[in-house]
Amino acid sequence: MGRSDIISGAFWFAISAFSGYLSYDLGLGVLRQPGPGFFFFWTSIVTAVLSLTVIVRGFKMEAEKVAAEPVIRIANVLKIVLVLAALFCYAMLVEQIGFIILTFLLFVFLLSVIEKKSWTAAISIGLVVTVLAYLLFETALQSQLPKGLLEFLRF
Amino acid sequence: MVDVLNNVIYGFGVALQPLHLMYCFFGVLIGTLVGVLPGLGPAAAIALLLPTTFKFTPVAATIMLAGIYYGAMYGGSTTSILVNIPGEAASVVTCLDGYQMARKGRAGPALGIAAFGSFIAGTIAVIALTFVGPVLADLALAFGPPEYFSLMIVGIMVLTYLSGGSMIKALMMAGIGVMLSGVGMDTISGQYRFTFDLPSLLDGVGVVPVAMGLFGISEVLLNLETEMKRDILATKVKNIFPSLKDWSLSIWSIIRGSILGFFLGIIPGGGAVIASFASYAIEKKMSKHPEEFGKGAIQGVAGPEAANNAGAGGSFIPLLTLGIPANPVMAILLGALMIHGLQPGPLLMNDVPDLFWGTIVSMYIGNGMLLVLNLPLIPLWIKVLKVPYYLLYPLILLFCLIGAYSLENNSDHMLIMLIFGILGFLMKKFSYDGAPMILALVLGQKLETSLRRSLIMSHGDFSTFITRPISLAFLIIALALLIIPIITQRRKLSQLEEG
Repeated sequence: MGRSDIISGAFWFAISAFSGYLSYDLGLGVLRQPGPGFFFFWTSIVTAVLSLTVIVRGFKMEAEKVAAEPVIRIANVLKIVLVLAALFCYAMLVEQIGFIILTFLLFVFLLSVIEKKSWTAAISIGLVVTVLAYLLFETALQSQLPKGLLEFLRF
Repeated sequence: MVDVLNNVIYGFGVALQPLHLMYCFFGVLIGTLVGVLPGLGPAAAIALLLPTTFKFTPVAATIMLAGIYYGAMYGGSTTSILVNIPGEAASVVTCLDGYQMARKGRAGPALGIAAFGSFIAGTIAVIALTFVGPVLADLALAFGPPEYFSLMIVGIMVLTYLSGGSMIKALMMAGIGVMLSGVGMDTISGQYRFTFDLPSLLDGVGVVPVAMGLFGISEVLLNLETEMKRDILATKVKNIFPSLKDWSLSIWSIIRGSILGFFLGIIPGGGAVIASFASYAIEKKMSKHPEEFGKGAIQGVAGPEAANNAGAGGSFIPLLTLGIPANPVMAILLGALMIHGLQPGPLLMNDVPDLFWGTIVSMYIGNGMLLVLNLPLIPLWIKVLKVPYYLLYPLILLFCLIGAYSLENNSDHMLIMLIFGILGFLMKKFSYDGAPMILALVLGQKLETSLRRSLIMSHGDFSTFITRPISLAFLIIALALLIIPIITQRRKLSQLEEG
């Protein structure tokens, strides 16, 4: 755990320090009338101290280790990155392109490119899921999902 | 007593309305499904189905969401027994003896006793909830800001104490959750904080996208790392009704598990998971044949299954009477009630009696539905387990995306959810628990307001927290929870040095 604790501790320390600075900037007020930054400033201080403890513990553990270990192990990195990229694209484009087209494309991408299923299977599953999701969310639950490019159809 | 009976009758009137019965049924059905499916816990399920309830009345929405929670407790046992994979965290212990029973050809009695045990425990919990709830709500009316502040500190401390890994890391996550809760408008001064002029942050960071990210998306990402293999037992599930011998062995385990689970469920930070572990430990200690535990002892299934269901029921008490969620699932439910314009707390019972009593009574009915649903539908759940993961995870992702968008018809929530999904994935890799963060995110604003109000009331005197007896009692508990791990760690170290 040594190195991973040092890295994660440093990350949370940076977050705490930044939050502490922003809270201080908001105004701490006085004890009789605490300001909007009061509570979060002290929370940041506590979190910063805790993250320093994690860092120190990480250094201690690292010193006791004989061989260096990787910080973290992530298998199938490419698969995870591609899935995340697809999800971010979906989130950023859904209002312009629309729920129907993007849901279909997302399923085809995940099943054919990521899961290596045949195009026929990917396209048919994509179609079925898109239609069912539309019927469930738009028709039955009356969610207002973005229509995007298909706005002109007025369905 | 008469009042309680009148209220229960009123609750039946609400819960037995056809529409509410239907939502209760859907809730327990979806809950069982969620419990059966590994990789999708009740917290994520409630979070991602929450937007679908926006068109419902608050009573119908709460009945359905509550059904998902206790339904998941039932369903979780099925995967534990048949696949040796717990459907959700509260069923981890059931794997130990449940799977061994299944390997010995006793999958039927294992599933049966889990279902009956869950039903009995769920019913005991709901009856206790009916009586304890009003008493606690009356007591809570005497709470002022210092008591609320100290109680919430206890809640966060219990959760960090019980958190699986390092307590320092859990406390840190609670701190981060508190800071996240500060995003948006300050309710006392009206000033905007930590929003960086981004319109999507003006209303704060929502619990639902964060929970969906931390529990839903991150879980999918973790599962993508490895191919999920499930060895579903080929043996036919038969003799689901436990024999008289099974009953005589299990009945006291069920009763003990129910009582223990209920009280552990009430404690903020406790709940179903810890209840199931505690029940297993007690059953093993009390058994005349502890060596049989881990080899297929039916008490090892009956006790924990009863405890986790009673714990699920008990955890509704602090939410409905104090407005304080006992665990992340209740935190999301609190968020749901607030979205529906309700403020859970001691006044909920008087302000919206149909919601309070309707939900409680729907749990009686839901428990009955689950018993009927769980036993005959086991073959269907086994079929569901066979759905390949390559089909399941795109569906979970799609539900998360639509769920996040539907909150406010805003794609920014999808982005927030994805960012917390990556954060949750990395947190698991670096051994950080997401539960304290969620609980602190929900409690953070209340915690801050209580602290500031207490200080304003006492003219800046911190002793207000220790001069009020209830607040002092809570703070002593919180301090004990902080000190106990330090003492036990020191003892272990000195024992190691001596050894």
